[in-house]
Amino acid sequence: MTRRKRMIEDLDQDIRDHLEMETQDNIERGMSPEEARYAALRKFGSVTRVKEETREVWSFVWLEQLWQDVRFGLRMLRKSPGFTCLAVLTLALGIGANTAIFSMVNSVLLRPLAYREAQQLYLVREIIPELSRTYPTLPANLPNFRVWQRECHSFAEVAIVTSSGMTLTGYGESEEIYGGLASANLFGVLGIMPELGRTFLPQEDTPGNDHVVILTNSFWRDRFHGDPTIVGRAITLGGQPFQVVGILPASFRFPKGDQFGALTGFPLRTDYFKPLGLDPEQFSPLGEFDYAAIARLKPGTSVGQALAELNVIQARIAKDAKQGVGLRAEIIPLESEVVGPARRGLLLLLAGVGAVLLIVCLNLANLLLVRVPSRAREAGIRTALGASRARLARQLLTESALLAILGGVLGVGLGYLGLRWLVAVAPANLPRIDEVHVDARVLWFTVFVSMLTGILFGAMPAWRVAHAEPQQALKAGAVTITEGRPARRLRESLIGFEVGVGTLLLIIAGLLTTSMVRLLGVDKGFSTEHVLAVDVSLPPQSYTKPEQKEEFYDNLLARVRALPGVNSAGWIDRLPLEGQEQVDSINVPGRSTTGLQTPIANYRHVSPGYFQSMGIALRQGRSIEQVDRDRHVAVISESVAKKVWPGENPLGKQFHPGDDQRSLTETIGVVADIRTVALDEPPLLMVYLPAGPASRNYASLVVRSAIVPAALGAAVRGAIQSVDPGVPIRHLRPMTEIVWESVGVRRFQMGLASLFAIFALLLAALGIYGVVGYSVARRRQELGIRMALGARGSDLRNLVVLQGMRPVVIGWATGVLTALVAGRVIRGLLFGVSAQDPLTIASVTLVVLVTAALACYIPARRAMNVDPMVALRYE
Amino acid sequence: MSTKEHKERIELLQGTLDLLILRTLLLGPAHGHAIAKAIEFNSDDVLQVEQGSLYPALHRLIKRRWIAVQEGTSENNRRAKFYRLTAKGRRQLAVETSKWSKLAGAIARILLPVEQEGRS
Repeated sequence: MTRRKRMIEDLDQDIRDHLEMETQDNIERGMSPEEARYAALRKFGSVTRVKEETREVWSFVWLEQLWQDVRFGLRMLRKSPGFTCLAVLTLALGIGANTAIFSMVNSVLLRPLAYREAQQLYLVREIIPELSRTYPTLPANLPNFRVWQRECHSFAEVAIVTSSGMTLTGYGESEEIYGGLASANLFGVLGIMPELGRTFLPQEDTPGNDHVVILTNSFWRDRFHGDPTIVGRAITLGGQPFQVVGILPASFRFPKGDQFGALTGFPLRTDYFKPLGLDPEQFSPLGEFDYAAIARLKPGTSVGQALAELNVIQARIAKDAKQGVGLRAEIIPLESEVVGPARRGLLLLLAGVGAVLLIVCLNLANLLLVRVPSRAREAGIRTALGASRARLARQLLTESALLAILGGVLGVGLGYLGLRWLVAVAPANLPRIDEVHVDARVLWFTVFVSMLTGILFGAMPAWRVAHAEPQQALKAGAVTITEGRPARRLRESLIGFEVGVGTLLLIIAGLLTTSMVRLLGVDKGFSTEHVLAVDVSLPPQSYTKPEQKEEFYDNLLARVRALPGVNSAGWIDRLPLEGQEQVDSINVPGRSTTGLQTPIANYRHVSPGYFQSMGIALRQGRSIEQVDRDRHVAVISESVAKKVWPGENPLGKQFHPGDDQRSLTETIGVVADIRTVALDEPPLLMVYLPAGPASRNYASLVVRSAIVPAALGAAVRGAIQSVDPGVPIRHLRPMTEIVWESVGVRRFQMGLASLFAIFALLLAALGIYGVVGYSVARRRQELGIRMALGARGSDLRNLVVLQGMRPVVIGWATGVLTALVAGRVIRGLLFGVSAQDPLTIASVTLVVLVTAALACYIPARRAMNVDPMVALRYE
Repeated sequence: MSTKEHKERIELLQGTLDLLILRTLLLGPAHGHAIAKAIEFNSDDVLQVEQGSLYPALHRLIKRRWIAVQEGTSENNRRAKFYRLTAKGRRQLAVETSKWSKLAGAIARILLPVEQEGRS
């Protein structure tokens, strides 16, 4: 090290000695001292280069040069603070947005589910071919699961779980808590070890032994303040003691909604798990398909083998059941089912945010290219002084890398904040949203993206500067009239590209927005304005008999209806848009119960006044009244009427709601179809029965008022309390909010896509503004001459605008064409609008062209104010 | 400018310059200017090096420990830095020389017949 230092320090002296000796020699040969010195210098070559090359020999040189370049680069960046700020800010926004979205993609799509060897986990679904038109696959049912457990050797293990809810009492305020009813081996299959205590024992699956629960970590912390002594103690659930046997680790995650397959509905919040405690003998092999079945395949067993084996078992079950229907199964990787349709949306967002970053890069490349001529002058001088091209290019790349690093550092910060915001606003049913966080992979991604952007926007300007002819650059430095055609072409094509990508993003965002508007405008079958929905649940220990429940509900309705401002009130056991439930056949006497024709409907129990309160139109007959309480009557939806009694009057027709053990029920009315599952899913067959003795422990009160629902909240709450203060209110919100939440994922996608598209448009506008403004500044002289020759200011302005718009129009056209061609990629995300929707494309065209024209017009106005004398004297 | 002049000279390959320095130092230690002069003189000015390029080469050789530096006095009685061949450098010179003559021989064999044909 010291040798290296000494050698370099001595070098100056060595060179001076050398030159002196050579000069001396030359003088001796008869040259004048001055001549001799010049000859010596000429013979020696570039002293700077020799020094640099010599230093390079001592290999640390690249580091030194880098340090030099960094210092020089920072100096250059400080010299133009406006440019630097703009560059770092846009980069930070671009990189930050990419970091945030990639974090989501990483956590939701790339990271395996938080279970042991999650790639071996599969969801098992059952298929009844006769039903597959309406329900392609069904969740599993309990007796069949027991058969698989015994007989299917492809599974290392299989577990089932379904949603459950109970009322917790005895610890402060009574509270409805949610969780899962699981076979004892669920945690074994998932590979989850409890943080405290144990998981379930096999015998706890049987009735009588099932009074144990495992709590999730968050529930344990919130409700029991993380008290470890709770393990082993009993808590009161549904009026009965349950022993807490274990606490799950904080890292445990459980899906929500139908992420474990359609027709399963897990709560948004998981508080506890309880063993099944059910006797499979009580269940029919072809009913109650309510369970998510999760299987761990044996290592080395393929899905195909497992499925083949399972289908043999299923066929036998169906044959033994003698119901005249078939039974098959399907095995789906758990992860793909959990993530499901969110994949496409997330990838679209990632592509969108990547496109934004691309525009950021192009913009910076453009701004740097604008600076090429002045930098070329500096580069020319340095080349003349002996700098190599590679060295110059490296210098310039260092500058752009510095920008990228600054942008990247700021971007990570912004990305982190952005991610927190995203998670906060994301709909709760977005799969795995609770797992989203920044990890090492995200940070590496950001580093990689930052470097890539640095290279992307820095490479072209660096190349151009380094390849500038020094002589020309020096000469041109004096008077610059017009820039070279290739340079202008390059910048124009960058602008065109920016506008193209921006247009594409806007079209996509526009299509998503149009979809959203169409979706919210869809005929829901019910009306949401001025409707308040309140979920109540009756503590089972105090409401054991049906009469008690009926009495509560009757009193409740009477009190609420008496409130000022209330027009009508009623209740139902499950609100529209909250998914399917109580799915069973409509069994018309005398018709075959098998085959494709068997209609399958969602059954609901409603109180009098429900249809009126929810704004569901009565089409025929009458609605359910107080007198119907103990009668076997039903109100059906229009599609039931069409499907079951086509061309006939459905009133007075009879059917069994379910199998033929159920009492024959008479149709008394027909109401409009409603969207039961989601706004973008067509209406299902609905059958409404009077609640009466079938009243459950939970109900959703629906109140239609003349005043805004929010103002009614306190009064309704008070009414419930006055009937029974022990009844917990689970939710109280306007119906509009339920609709709004049901489109949460779309709203999220639309919002982000629009945000990115607007950002892209602004960036492109900035690029156009910069380029046009620059061209006006450079053409002052030419414009001055034109003006001196008689051109009017407005002519010049129009000229500049027209020239500025040329790349814009080309870019716009390219963007529209790309959108037309690539539209089918996003078709799955659209609703009620074609990917080539002319209205959307026209609106986007208007927005793009107006914005671009403005971005051209503002700097072009300066062309009007060119004073010909000043411009000409400028020389 | 000197571009034309430049082309007529034979541009030295880097390795060749190293070899020439080693060969020069075989005769005894020398300072930088003397090495440059010796190379020019011995090659009848055909091989003209930009004298400056000698220095990166010298440093390269020092780094490889083929030559070493010692203090001394120059012919005009001034303190100067002398470069001398090390034992390792001496061995390297032998290796490089034989490599070079093999290469030169090969090139000569390739080029000469063509030239004769061209003349006839």
